[in-house]
Amino acid sequence: MSDAPLVLCADDDADIRALLTIRLERAGFRVAQAADGEQALSLARELSPDVLVLDVMMPRLSGTEVLLALRGDEATAAIPVVLLSARAQEADVERGLEAGADAYLAKPFQAPELIEVVGRLAGR
Amino acid sequence: MTSTPVGEPVHVRSGFAPRSRASLAFLALGAVAIGVYFLLPDDAQDVLYVVIGLAAVAAVLHGARSRAAGRLSWQLFAAGLLCAVVADTISSYYEVRLDREPPVPSSADVFYLASYPLLLAGIFLLLRDLGSIRTRAAILDAVIVTVAAGMVQWIFFVGPYLKTSLHPFARGVEMAYPTMDLLMFVALAQLALGTGVRTWAYRLLVVAVGLWIVGDELFGLSVDNYTAGGWLDAFWLASYVCWGAAGLEPVENWRLALDRRQVPRLTKGRIALLAAALLTVPAVILVEHFWHGRNLHSVSIAVGASLLAVLVIARFAGLVRAVDSARIAEREANQRLRELDRLKDEFVSTISHELRTPLTSITGYVELAREQADPETNGYLAVVERNAARLLSLVNDLLFVARLQSGGLDLEEEPVDVAQLVAESVAAAKPQAVGANVELRLRLTGGDTAVRGDRRRLAQVIDNLVSNAIKFSPDAGSVDLTVDRGNGKVTVEVEDRGIGLSESERERLFERFFRSQGALDRQIPGTGLGLYITKSIVEAHGGSVAARSIVGEGSSFVVELPAAS
Repeated sequence: MSDAPLVLCADDDADIRALLTIRLERAGFRVAQAADGEQALSLARELSPDVLVLDVMMPRLSGTEVLLALRGDEATAAIPVVLLSARAQEADVERGLEAGADAYLAKPFQAPELIEVVGRLAGR
Repeated sequence: MTSTPVGEPVHVRSGFAPRSRASLAFLALGAVAIGVYFLLPDDAQDVLYVVIGLAAVAAVLHGARSRAAGRLSWQLFAAGLLCAVVADTISSYYEVRLDREPPVPSSADVFYLASYPLLLAGIFLLLRDLGSIRTRAAILDAVIVTVAAGMVQWIFFVGPYLKTSLHPFARGVEMAYPTMDLLMFVALAQLALGTGVRTWAYRLLVVAVGLWIVGDELFGLSVDNYTAGGWLDAFWLASYVCWGAAGLEPVENWRLALDRRQVPRLTKGRIALLAAALLTVPAVILVEHFWHGRNLHSVSIAVGASLLAVLVIARFAGLVRAVDSARIAEREANQRLRELDRLKDEFVSTISHELRTPLTSITGYVELAREQADPETNGYLAVVERNAARLLSLVNDLLFVARLQSGGLDLEEEPVDVAQLVAESVAAAKPQAVGANVELRLRLTGGDTAVRGDRRRLAQVIDNLVSNAIKFSPDAGSVDLTVDRGNGKVTVEVEDRGIGLSESERERLFERFFRSQGALDRQIPGTGLGLYITKSIVEAHGGSVAARSIVGEGSSFVVELPAAS
């Protein structure tokens, strides 16, 4: 189990964090959680997760800001990032992908889709 | 500068406000009397002249007595008209009994000259009582016209007396008439160029004052060959009659419908009047040049022309400034609208986020729960899931409509094969069709069905029409889909055998939030946004969508899109 890919889930909504954790753990991933943007950034630097699932609308630092900070730092630039947002208009998707996201999931998300995307980015 | 209007303003757009029978009868009788006047011998003429004048005085007095407020101006009119009638009587006494023109000055002049201040006071008091709005522009118009008239009056009517050899007192009396007429003209300009909407009664008074002035002026021009009983009398007589008729109009026909506009509209009449005022300067010069032996009143003309120039510039500066400030106000209003639009977008976006977040938890946990629920609970959870999906599609539709309203659609155009799109849509709708026991039949006529368009949006259109057709189909019904190509258009027809639509419903079908009676009666879920969205998307592609239907037999929706080639 210890060599299972580590996924860092960052979302300010505890219920959604828990939901992500359950779905990903059932699919065989290890999961760490972050409750806001700052925490997401520090945990990402500390844990170097295999995949980061990042909510866009978060207090303190938005997901997009976290993403830009990670991409700007050589140590974290390579971490695959899935943006997750309730703002799913084309313009939002485009902005997220331009900021360097590897994938974009709209809320509400489908569990199989989540697992497929995370698995692909984790190289499984 | 406004005073309290008499009672509530009556909203009358044109000047053809109600007119009373009494005043119309008075006008008609007066017209007949004036006609008769010119058929009579001299003696009888004088009598009739005085009778007409007295009738006007009586009518105006009657008007004064029937008024609760604003009586004083009508009493002043009555007194002024009476003075004039007395003066007329004295004049005719001289002419008929003494067989000579009255001397200058005579007792007739005393009464004539007394009539003017009384009438003037009455007019200005009436203007105040009626609450006529005096804007700067209206006053300027009146002043411009008055200055032009004043110049003419001074040069042609007052000035000549300065050089006569009359006794100073007599000269003063002779000069008093044109001066009084000028003051009457000031009153007329105020009456005629105010901003209130003129009622019939009001116009009668304007005409009365105007006729009075015209009579005086024509008399001034032809004073040497004037004879009582001539055509000139018609003006004064008509003035009496109009004044009397105006007095007989009941007070409610007098109220001016006050215009809310602050600046009087530059009507053609007003422009013509201002132009005429400006043209008095060259007119005076030409008249003096050709008829007065080139004896120019250079100083008077220069003063008049300068005053007119200054006033006209002030008037037009006011206009330009008004236009400027209107433009600035418009720009500010536009800016506010844009700001509001931005706030609305932000609001819609926030709301959609706030609704989607709990929906994510609901659908996510229901999905989890369903995986480990017994069959009965699973059935209940399926209901929750279905309704959460409905709520989500409602949020999506509302968001979409909000974006349509504020800035329209951004289409990502690419070549799209409509036949393929419809086939995909049919495949995706299979579960819904099976659940509703409806058969989907797709007929492709072949040929190139490519269009240029936004694939996702066009899919949304077809999905929506197919889903509607299934929803409105009876059990064991069928839906026919046809994709065709012809006349440079790609056509998709979706035909059901459902409840159908009445003609009045068909007209409103594509409106936002419209739901047909059949849909409401059968409690078919929906928001009334689907067809609005469909139409918006199709029209953004340069296409059209139409509905045909027979109640009880079914409906058919036809989408036409311009073909790619």
